Amino acid sequence: MKIRSFILASTAVFALSSAAQAATELYLINCGADNEPQAPVQQTHIDEWVKANPDYTVRVEFLPWEQCQEKTLTLAAAGTPPAAAYMGSRVLKQLSAAGQIVPIGLTDDELKTYEPSVISTVQFDGQVWGLPRAFSTKALYWNKDLFKEAGLDMPNGPQTFEEMLTAAKAIKEKTKAAGFGMPAADMDNTFHEFLNFLYSNGGQVVDGDGKVAFDSPNNVETLKFYQELAKYSQEGPVAYDRGKLEPLFKEGQIAMYTSGAWGRGKAEGVNFGVAQIPAGPSGKHSTLLITDSLVVFKGTGQEEATQNLIKFLTAPERQSAFDEAGGWTPIRAGAGADALIAKDPNWKPFIDAVPTGGPEPLMQDYIGMQDAAIEGIQAVISDEVTPEEGAKQINDGLAGLS
Amino acid sequence: MKRVDAFPYLLLIPALLLVGTIAAWPLVETFRLSFTDASMKQTQSYVGFENYAKFFQRDFWPILGRTLVWTSLSVSLKLVMGLLGAVLLNAAVPGRALFRILIMPPWVVPVAVGCFMWAWMYNGQFGMISGLGQRFELFSGPFEFLAYKQAAFIATVVTDVWIGTPLVSLYLLAAMQTIPKDLYEAAWTDGAGRFYRFRRVTLPLLMPSITTMALLSTIWTFNSFEIIWILTEGGPRGSTTTMIIDTYRTAISRFRYGEGAARAVMILICLMVLSAIYLALLNRLTRKGRTK
Repeated sequence: MKIRSFILASTAVFALSSAAQAATELYLINCGADNEPQAPVQQTHIDEWVKANPDYTVRVEFLPWEQCQEKTLTLAAAGTPPAAAYMGSRVLKQLSAAGQIVPIGLTDDELKTYEPSVISTVQFDGQVWGLPRAFSTKALYWNKDLFKEAGLDMPNGPQTFEEMLTAAKAIKEKTKAAGFGMPAADMDNTFHEFLNFLYSNGGQVVDGDGKVAFDSPNNVETLKFYQELAKYSQEGPVAYDRGKLEPLFKEGQIAMYTSGAWGRGKAEGVNFGVAQIPAGPSGKHSTLLITDSLVVFKGTGQEEATQNLIKFLTAPERQSAFDEAGGWTPIRAGAGADALIAKDPNWKPFIDAVPTGGPEPLMQDYIGMQDAAIEGIQAVISDEVTPEEGAKQINDGLAGLS
Repeated sequence: MKRVDAFPYLLLIPALLLVGTIAAWPLVETFRLSFTDASMKQTQSYVGFENYAKFFQRDFWPILGRTLVWTSLSVSLKLVMGLLGAVLLNAAVPGRALFRILIMPPWVVPVAVGCFMWAWMYNGQFGMISGLGQRFELFSGPFEFLAYKQAAFIATVVTDVWIGTPLVSLYLLAAMQTIPKDLYEAAWTDGAGRFYRFRRVTLPLLMPSITTMALLSTIWTFNSFEIIWILTEGGPRGSTTTMIIDTYRTAISRFRYGEGAARAVMILICLMVLSAIYLALLNRLTRKGRTK
């Protein structure tokens, strides 16, 4: 009797543990750190989804940004992709061309919840390839005290390229600070920050037909402006990425720089204002729209469940909580965005720029694209080539890429 | 008929498997990849010498030239300073052991930490070098060492020399201590001065060690990645892009595994050529030493 009971009990335990093990694991790679404020919000939402889908478990691995995309793409290339990953939307075209990710099936109603300019960061070939998860726009931070010291009367900050140049020149000449903090290192944000001005001057990298169009008059005009602005910027812009400019702004060594909404927290103690990116002579206020998105990889056999998971996570109410915790520009316009502006008016320039903003140009070889653009920008601001030559150089470099 | 004993060959199998797994297989795989269009796609096709042709047509010569200048400058400085350091550490001075310990930190400190420290020193606004330069009126204002092509090139060499010199010093010091004392005594008896003894006794007997260190240092420096990557990532405008940086950018950053593999093979070939030259030189020196 005892033996029979033992066998029955063992069988029951084995069966139960097997059933527990039968739950399929969805492996999600999350670029970033697990101590960021939005991480627990996401975990709560994942727990809710798992509760509603007991056949699945979700394992989230956080990886630093520097290694994250490389590791994810290497896993995918090796044929062992994660179920989903949270990564920069700039890689989507490359992943889609390599057949590594699946398009996300969104209904018209789901699609309509997004601002068209935001969804354009993940949309090409008539499909949506990822769901925007974190979103940033850029604006111009300006130091009110330095403007005053230089005798400038611009209560709302510089609004045009011309005003910006006037302000930068006056500050460089009349104060100890540099007029503008220009990032020009071999880093992606060199290209990103330049795109803010390019878009604000009606420029574009790729035209409506998908052809490279970097040598357009608008782009040459923007490069001329940037070359002139470099004269009033901090010494050696090529040694600076955007992150290195933050302490300079905080220390009052630069009077202006462009950054995302997170820059508000990096300028404690500075009497600063935030303005939309100044409009160029051929354009209007704009910004670069950058999203990081959740993408679903092909080849796990769990594509449908994974899509279900990421749709759940990015549904308006949950995404809004995630945005708020992370301090991101809200992905969807509406009450959340209005509440932010009411709480801190400095949010306004970041949110107002969304409808007119432009996406990162989506090219398969996005690193090649960045390298070509950065090299041209560096050459122009170092006065090694004219803006016309720089634009042509970048155009030729981009045209050679896919 | 003589029976072949298989037992010794069986004993070799684990070692052969180990070498095959950790050295030969990756090497063979790199060669194979270099003839394909391997990328993020799961399929790959044979493309012949296309990856090599592309490399030669576009970047090979400027990058090779830059790598050779960077390597030779860095290795020369490391050898000269390392030799000087070894001579000083070998001198009979009080507290010699302490000096031998004090020379170690640049080599012992993790490379990344050392590089971040140098990056901070090269900073124009907050860095020590720019600050001192301004105080002594060498610069009219802040100077960003990593913002200009030549300055960045020299800055990366200086950092590499700082990190690599202690090892050279210690290696040459060890070699110096194997030189028989009686040779110095004989030279001293013959009236040879300190510098003459160094030139005629120390230097010739150290030459095989110097050559060996030069070979090893050349290979390490040629393949030096972290220092340049942390300080400049190969910039500004490619001025510090050496072959290893270029290979990494191609294969890992841009996911062009086939092209990256071809560039890695070219590094291997360059290093084999350099090694052959050094080994021939070493043999010649050794023979010369024996005939004297």
